[in-house]
Amino acid sequence: MPKHEPVLLKNMLQPGYTGSLVDYEKAGGYQALRKVLGKIAPGDVTQLVIKSGLRGRGGAGFPTGVKWGFLPKDYQGPRYLCCNADESEPGTFKDRQLIERDPHQMLEGIVLACYAIGAESAYIYIRGEFVLGAQILERALGEARATGYIGKNILGTGVSVDVWVHRGAGAYICGEETALLESLEGKRGLPRVKPPFPATHGLYNKPTVVNNVETLANLPHIISRGPEWFAAIGSPPKSTGTRIFCVSGHVKRPGNYEVPMGIPFRELIYEHAGGMRGEKPLKAFIPGGASAPFLTPDHLDVKLDFESVAAAGSMLGSGGVTVMEEGTSMVWAALRLMEFFYHESCGKCSPCREGSSWLVQTMRRIMAKRGQAQDLETLTDLCKNIAGRTVCAFGDAEVAPIMSTMKHWRHEYIALIHEAEAANLLRPEPALKRH
Amino acid sequence: MTDSTTDTVRLTIDGIPITVPKGTLVIEAARRVGVMIPHFCYHPKLKPDANCRMCLVEVEKMPKLQTSCSTVATEGMAVRTATTVVNDAHKSVLEFILANHPLDCPVCDQGGRCDLQDFSHQYTATASRFIETKRIFQKEYFSPLIETQMNRCVQCLRCVRYCDEVMDVKALAPAGRGTMTEIKSFGTHQLNCEFCGGCVQICPVGAITSRLSMYEYRPWMLKRADTICQYCGDGCQITVQTKDNELIEVMSAQGAGRNNGDLCARGFFGYHAAAHPDRLTKPLMRRNGALVETTWEDALEYTAEQISRLKTSHGAQAFGGLISSRCTNEELYLFQKVMRTAIGTNNLDSSARYGQLNAVQAMRRIQGTHRWTVTFEDIIQADVLLLVGTNITEANPIAGLKVKEAVKKHQARLFTIESIQPAVDTISNITNLAELHICVPPAQYDRAILGLLKAAVEGQQVDQTVHNPSSEFVTAVSQALARLSWPDIEAGTGTTRETFVQLAAGIAKGRRVVVLAGQDLLRSAGGYGICLNLLDLLLLTGKLTESGCGFAPLAEENNDQGAVEMGAIAELLPGVLDVANQEARAQMGRAWKTDLPLAAGATLVEMIDRAHSGLLKGMLVVGENPVGSLPPHLEVGEALRKLEFLVCQELFLTETASLAHVVLPASSSLEKAGTFTNEEGHVQAVRPTIEPVGESRPDWEILSAISMLLGAPRDYGDAKELLTEIRSVVPGYGLLGPGPIPPKVDRAAIERYVTGGYRQDLAGRYTLATHAMPLEGTMELRLVQSLFHSGKFSTRSKGLLQIEARASLRMNPVDAARLTLGDGDRVRLSNQRGDLKATVKLLERVPQGALWFPDHFAQEAANLFECAIDPHTKVPSIRTAAVSIVKIT
Repeated sequence: MPKHEPVLLKNMLQPGYTGSLVDYEKAGGYQALRKVLGKIAPGDVTQLVIKSGLRGRGGAGFPTGVKWGFLPKDYQGPRYLCCNADESEPGTFKDRQLIERDPHQMLEGIVLACYAIGAESAYIYIRGEFVLGAQILERALGEARATGYIGKNILGTGVSVDVWVHRGAGAYICGEETALLESLEGKRGLPRVKPPFPATHGLYNKPTVVNNVETLANLPHIISRGPEWFAAIGSPPKSTGTRIFCVSGHVKRPGNYEVPMGIPFRELIYEHAGGMRGEKPLKAFIPGGASAPFLTPDHLDVKLDFESVAAAGSMLGSGGVTVMEEGTSMVWAALRLMEFFYHESCGKCSPCREGSSWLVQTMRRIMAKRGQAQDLETLTDLCKNIAGRTVCAFGDAEVAPIMSTMKHWRHEYIALIHEAEAANLLRPEPALKRH
Repeated sequence: MTDSTTDTVRLTIDGIPITVPKGTLVIEAARRVGVMIPHFCYHPKLKPDANCRMCLVEVEKMPKLQTSCSTVATEGMAVRTATTVVNDAHKSVLEFILANHPLDCPVCDQGGRCDLQDFSHQYTATASRFIETKRIFQKEYFSPLIETQMNRCVQCLRCVRYCDEVMDVKALAPAGRGTMTEIKSFGTHQLNCEFCGGCVQICPVGAITSRLSMYEYRPWMLKRADTICQYCGDGCQITVQTKDNELIEVMSAQGAGRNNGDLCARGFFGYHAAAHPDRLTKPLMRRNGALVETTWEDALEYTAEQISRLKTSHGAQAFGGLISSRCTNEELYLFQKVMRTAIGTNNLDSSARYGQLNAVQAMRRIQGTHRWTVTFEDIIQADVLLLVGTNITEANPIAGLKVKEAVKKHQARLFTIESIQPAVDTISNITNLAELHICVPPAQYDRAILGLLKAAVEGQQVDQTVHNPSSEFVTAVSQALARLSWPDIEAGTGTTRETFVQLAAGIAKGRRVVVLAGQDLLRSAGGYGICLNLLDLLLLTGKLTESGCGFAPLAEENNDQGAVEMGAIAELLPGVLDVANQEARAQMGRAWKTDLPLAAGATLVEMIDRAHSGLLKGMLVVGENPVGSLPPHLEVGEALRKLEFLVCQELFLTETASLAHVVLPASSSLEKAGTFTNEEGHVQAVRPTIEPVGESRPDWEILSAISMLLGAPRDYGDAKELLTEIRSVVPGYGLLGPGPIPPKVDRAAIERYVTGGYRQDLAGRYTLATHAMPLEGTMELRLVQSLFHSGKFSTRSKGLLQIEARASLRMNPVDAARLTLGDGDRVRLSNQRGDLKATVKLLERVPQGALWFPDHFAQEAANLFECAIDPHTKVPSIRTAAVSIVKIT
């Protein structure tokens, strides 16, 4: 069925592949490491990655090699690599599969990245709920250390990289890179004010790179098969390579699909994921995780690359595609996501902290048919006053569902408020309470 | 100033051009042109956190609004703080912050001085659009002194950040997430911290307030007076707020005084003692063996009569006087003047004798100044700091903040030689921040300093410029140090030679080196010699004459330094001139139009001895309590009972005052005007905040009245007249500027020292003293300063008593485990001199083998201690005792 050759999921799609070191080596694993360490200068590895056009797979899509290049060249002290495995975006579950099914692929990527940026220590910050993933990583690390792929003097090349797994404690915000660093340092996971950026003042105030699991997992393939090969996949020049999209919702075959960037949503949803689960047609979809604004059937031919989705008014984000069929209440869908953001707002910035509780309460009221005519204006104002006014991108994320559903399905909000007003007419005026 | 284009940037704020130093934040640049950008979370003392989002501004060429508290001004930046977009953003943030706020301003103690109120007023918030349910926190009991009302909290985290970044205590933390974020203390117990009151002061709203004054006032009802704290020698400026002559609360404004608005528990919560019911309100006279109330006229006349009678019958040398260094400069000056002229004796002393004098005499001898050559600012800007015997976070908490700032904000290297060990605790511990720490008992400070000197000299760290003119001195020191053996030093200090070498190299490498010596050193036996050796270290490494470098002894009492400078010391005249110096005596005699007594005066302990032997017949004691402060084996009480006449000027009926023939009620420093000189040598104005309690009078007024009755020519109408007279005899004394202007070292004095002045005692100082080995099974009991107390005033302060009401015996958990002791167990300490029952408290900072007993409750423990007297400075040392310990039930 897949028209394209999978890259990241290739190994695990082989029958009987267990993700063990033996299996990974059999499939050609750790060859990139042998090819690079001590043979290609670290700066040249960075150049290879820049040439490949690889962009961050965590959500923001920043060019990976360029990010590495921001580290100060002449800094004498330690540098760090952090692997962001705190995959918590609703509708996103690709990293989990990469961790659980092929851990050595990302570990090889981590060592390659460390080599390129000159880090001797890497931390995998893994979501607390990924208990199995953490166990698998620990086991894989044990294998890699015992074989000499990780640790002191790797493969006798004099390069040393050690890797530690650190489990999160259940906060969504710790997926934000600076909150992740705070949490890793043992502090409360709150985003830091930028600048300074982690590239200069990261973990323990040292130069640090934070990369997503999928980003790092791509590295062995880029090294082994060359940046030109990678850059030719997808929709060059800006969105190269494949991407794992996590399709969920009202489709026949929810799951992870690795496809070249740039195929249209229609192909992903109707061919890969098997189309809608029943008779009802598609009503809405979220293209890139809960933080991405909703799109409509009119957007089905938008290409799955960073620029096209942005042009359509949303973002490719974390690659979580959630599909909703006709009949789904968009107010309910927005409320459901708002409940999540309310629960996860870290509380650092006033607009997000107070706004999330205000928004969720207003949305609950509208959904419960106790809305008022002025609520829509209030919601719009609140969303505008949160977006762009917070330390991290959470503020923009939390208003996306409400703003986009109000844009495309405003009538559903109005209908609920009308219902409330009609019911109010029947209700007796409440007696004035004495204070 | 180097090239201005590289050090400064030019920008415009609302069109107003301004040039600011590089690195200045936009919010600060705006403040300089008079534009106040509203904010909650920003505070100049704290790292920007940009969490409240109130200070958003428009910056040209930036698409989004920027938080001015975290945006650094850059060249050519154009900032707009009052456009429609910005105003709307401010209004919207305020709307968010007010959404869950209870709006309980009518019952909020912050009402009237609340940032949230002020900004709401500024942005004319109308009816709220928030019609949802407000978040309500469960009310929790926080602590006996600090109240929290979390519904009012704006989650700016200023309290949490202050507690961590400035205090290094980390007692507070945000708990919960999102709107449920509330400020809590760690653990399930109530707040247990330094109680510096910083969180109360820094809270922009009414979320954290003081319980001592809860619901007692509205801010606009309060009368405010700026004065100087009367506890330690740091000399913090406090603003005392009163209502109808009643003490309500103390605060210190951001940027105020030498403390920059920071206070400690004593400063913030320690002021209700002035209104304690124990205060003496009427003069007392002994009639038929009992002290009974009398009138001022009778008491003063009787006092003058008795003094005259003693002078006529036994001569002026039969009289002596003691004064507390907590008195003002004016009082200390007048006291010694009355003693020296109206009575005619040098038998006088002050509590500076207990330790400060060691430091002053050492500085005079080597660097020719009686003051620091550095300031608090030099501590902050130092790149190397050496602390010796300071216990600074407890004894001198604000000087401690300067050290913390140097280390935490400016990455200074900190070396400590202290008798405490690093430990995480409810209060801060300076050794936790040290790069190198040598933990030795006070008796080994000398050995540790000698180790340091030996490492410096052997490591060729002697500055070449020093070598040249003073090679004779350098040779003598080198030879003396060569005779010391490393194994002896290592064994005595438990510290390896390598550590000393590292430490010496660190000091030699420093560009701005400040050495701080605390009372734990100054009050120890041999404190004077160790001060000299520390000055030798600075001299040898070439630091003594460098600007930004210097020796900084820390004073225990608020006016220790003033007491020495005012000549309230047997051997010193005002201006720190030797009584023995004929020229000085003549000069002072001309000013006072009388001849000064020739006979050398008796010092503190000498006076007690003379009273014992019957040589001393009468004493005037101002605010001192030798019966309580000196160990019982000196039999101070017996000595004073032998006096024919004892008059005391006191706040409370102390052990000493209760033996007096006349007790004159004195006013506390909150009730009078004058000046205090802090340890830096900064003279600061003391202002009355309430009327004198009862019939009490300021000490200077009482002294003036006594001297008039004794026939002195001059009456003083107010403290200012005294200060004017002080300035006439000590030119320029107390210019009362914003900060001290430290003296420069006197190179002639150094010259004298290195060309022979050192000879008299160098051999003695550069010898490893042999300390008696402690008897098997005994532990070393030490008197230590406590953060929460410092004597009769603090132990009558209701706030401080709520934190620490009783003295407890602190010991290391390892020792406790060995003796099967736990928190709260009762023990009996004993030695051949006496015994003491105490309650045990486990504390990890106490080194093993040591027992700590708080200094201010020392009356209970005094009978266990010996008293060693420094042969040169006559400083009595009552610090350590070997005791055996048994558990009692």
